Amino acid sequence: MQSLLSILADLSWPFAIAAAWVAGEFGHRWTGLPRISFYGLVGFVLAQNSIGVLPSSGSATMLLMADAAFGLILFEMGYRINLRWLRNNLWLGVTGLVEAISTFAVVYLIASQFGVTTMNALLLASLAMSSSPATVLRVINEERSSGQVTERVLHLTAINCVLAVFTFNAIVGLWIFHSSGDWLGATSSSLVVLLASAGVGALFGIVVPAMLRKLGNMTQDATVAFALSVILLVALTYSTRLSPLLATLAFGLVARHRRVAFSKTQRNFGALGELLTVLLFVFAASTMQWSTLATGTGLALLVIVARFITKVASVTAFSHVSGISWRKGVLTGIALTPVSAFIILLLEHARQSGVDLGHELSALAAMTLILEIVGPIVIQRALIWAKETQQKEPQ
Amino acid sequence: MALEPFAQSVALTLGVELELQLVNLSDFDLADASPDLLHLLKRQPFPGNVTPEMTESMIEINSSVHTQHHSLLAQLQDIRDTLVQAGDRLNIGICGGGTHPFQQWSSQKIFSGPRFQELSALYGYLAKQFTIFGQHVHIGCASGDDAMFLLHSLNRYVPHFIALSASSPFVQGRDTQFDSARLNSVFAFPMSGRAPFTLRWAEFSDVYFAKMAKTGIIKSMKDFYWDIRPKPEFGTIELRVCDTPLTVERAAALAAYLQALCRHLLERREEPPVEDDYLVYNYNRFQACRFGLDGAITHPKTYETMSLREDIITTLRKMAPHAEALGGSAGLQHLSDAAMNGSHAQYLRTQYQRHGSAEGMVDAAIRGFRGEAMA
Repeated sequence: MQSLLSILADLSWPFAIAAAWVAGEFGHRWTGLPRISFYGLVGFVLAQNSIGVLPSSGSATMLLMADAAFGLILFEMGYRINLRWLRNNLWLGVTGLVEAISTFAVVYLIASQFGVTTMNALLLASLAMSSSPATVLRVINEERSSGQVTERVLHLTAINCVLAVFTFNAIVGLWIFHSSGDWLGATSSSLVVLLASAGVGALFGIVVPAMLRKLGNMTQDATVAFALSVILLVALTYSTRLSPLLATLAFGLVARHRRVAFSKTQRNFGALGELLTVLLFVFAASTMQWSTLATGTGLALLVIVARFITKVASVTAFSHVSGISWRKGVLTGIALTPVSAFIILLLEHARQSGVDLGHELSALAAMTLILEIVGPIVIQRALIWAKETQQKEPQ
Repeated sequence: MALEPFAQSVALTLGVELELQLVNLSDFDLADASPDLLHLLKRQPFPGNVTPEMTESMIEINSSVHTQHHSLLAQLQDIRDTLVQAGDRLNIGICGGGTHPFQQWSSQKIFSGPRFQELSALYGYLAKQFTIFGQHVHIGCASGDDAMFLLHSLNRYVPHFIALSASSPFVQGRDTQFDSARLNSVFAFPMSGRAPFTLRWAEFSDVYFAKMAKTGIIKSMKDFYWDIRPKPEFGTIELRVCDTPLTVERAAALAAYLQALCRHLLERREEPPVEDDYLVYNYNRFQACRFGLDGAITHPKTYETMSLREDIITTLRKMAPHAEALGGSAGLQHLSDAAMNGSHAQYLRTQYQRHGSAEGMVDAAIRGFRGEAMA
């Protein structure tokens, strides 16, 4: 009997992932909603203590796998960012800054009003700045959308994520300083780590394309080579306590600007990317417990609404001057709604370095879970309303 | 519906239309960007005209009517600069080239508009495969009879324009071995080919067109996809065999060459065109598409086989006095350099070799269109 239980425990993750995939396929076919919403739903349900299929605290292996999955997504995201565009269209960069900073301010004010401690309010505000790269990219690829809303959501998400990582780490550093007085430790755990992470990523971005160029015929080999490099980079940052998020994003950015071709068939990193995406979204949702959620939902809903309004208003304000219609400005703002894996992974990493925020910030957990499931639907609608998705071929 | 009368226009005036590619700067595939680009361009006066095309990854621009090469070129450069600036603001790459080297036709999105949707419904996959990019040159004609005379007299020179403009060596990721693979897609349409042989406008309009209209297959001149077709509402003939070149300089030069040729032909010193000229027409056209400047063509009157490159260079030299009279010498000089140094198709193949990928080739095309040096 004991052995049967341990076999069942071993099977729990593969079972959950398979179940999520099946739910995603059928759910997508029947409702037209994004697959990842169903992955998150299945992950959340199976992880509840009362059901007990998945262990509620994520295992280290699963976190590494999730990081690898997210690394692939961040690499692709970085690869699609055109820094030259930000120079050619200054208003786009301004949009990104204003949107992120005003979200930070608004969320901080609301959280303070609700009696959240200053430190927690700052952390919540810094994380609320970010949109979800995983959700954004995944839905864009699933819908094969292309146009200004698509392009701008990608760029604005990259900007607000980088800002969120820096602010978050700066605040964590501040926290360590406050609690231990260790100035050196506080700095090294924030800024230095971030710069080193970006540096390692950039180094990969130079070395890997150069190596591929030597191999020749890169259009066929690039996917596997980049995927392996990303996984290696994640493992490397993992063991050196650097930030895999920033490293993989920097890798993609630098690789793109080194101009090595990457053909369309390799979007999402093909089947490997698909597989890891299921895992990532199941894992992310499985870190949430219903009990934590119930307590934080009130504030979470308020933050979600305020964040939504702030993002839409800021992006819309600069839409005309940055060259798109007001309508597309509103839709771009709406499409920035998703929040998911990005925050969860940041929190998991903070927990590893001894700062456990998940339980103190129940509102954050609630917001993340709600948006992990609702977020994909929101961005999907925004892209459809912007007429940037591919029409379904008449059967 | 009867064909409208042939409008009068000033003889030998010039106009150019270019179909251009809109490209995603991350993966260099075609991007469905025309609605956004057109929205932005509408905000300020555009030098010339810009319109949507069949799929959302292409736009068409056209010049106004010009009498001289240099003013046409100046306007095309102006249009180019306006487009490039708008593209920069929206992160869209814009380039010439007759085909996109690796786009998959199945993923193209048809622009919403009744005519486009109608064509798409009729032609099915042909409509999406028609994501190809051509240059059309209009030449003003004093009368319909002149138009028909020029249209048929030009038959011998059609391969020149194919070879000089060729810029579509790759289709769906593969080197087709053709310099202009684009025209193979045009030939798939039932109404492609050449106009029926008649030298009188009245006969074309009242007999041929009237009969075709009666069959119900044809509603307007737009339904013919001929290599050269008369355009009665403008009072022009329209040469449609050119690939969109990589640069507007090449596009203007091709127009100057056509203008000089028409001036020469209107002097009527050459032997007049006859129906039998078309015996060699399709094969010559194939040679130009397949081998470009290295092709060999058969003279329609003497049946002598000639190198296409040499025939072009000889003809360019012969047209020099006409070009001078019309102010188009710079254009002809540009083409004679191109005939010696190689076409844009050849340039693209070199870029493929250099960068090792089709994406690198598109990147080179975008730079070329912006006016950067093409080394």
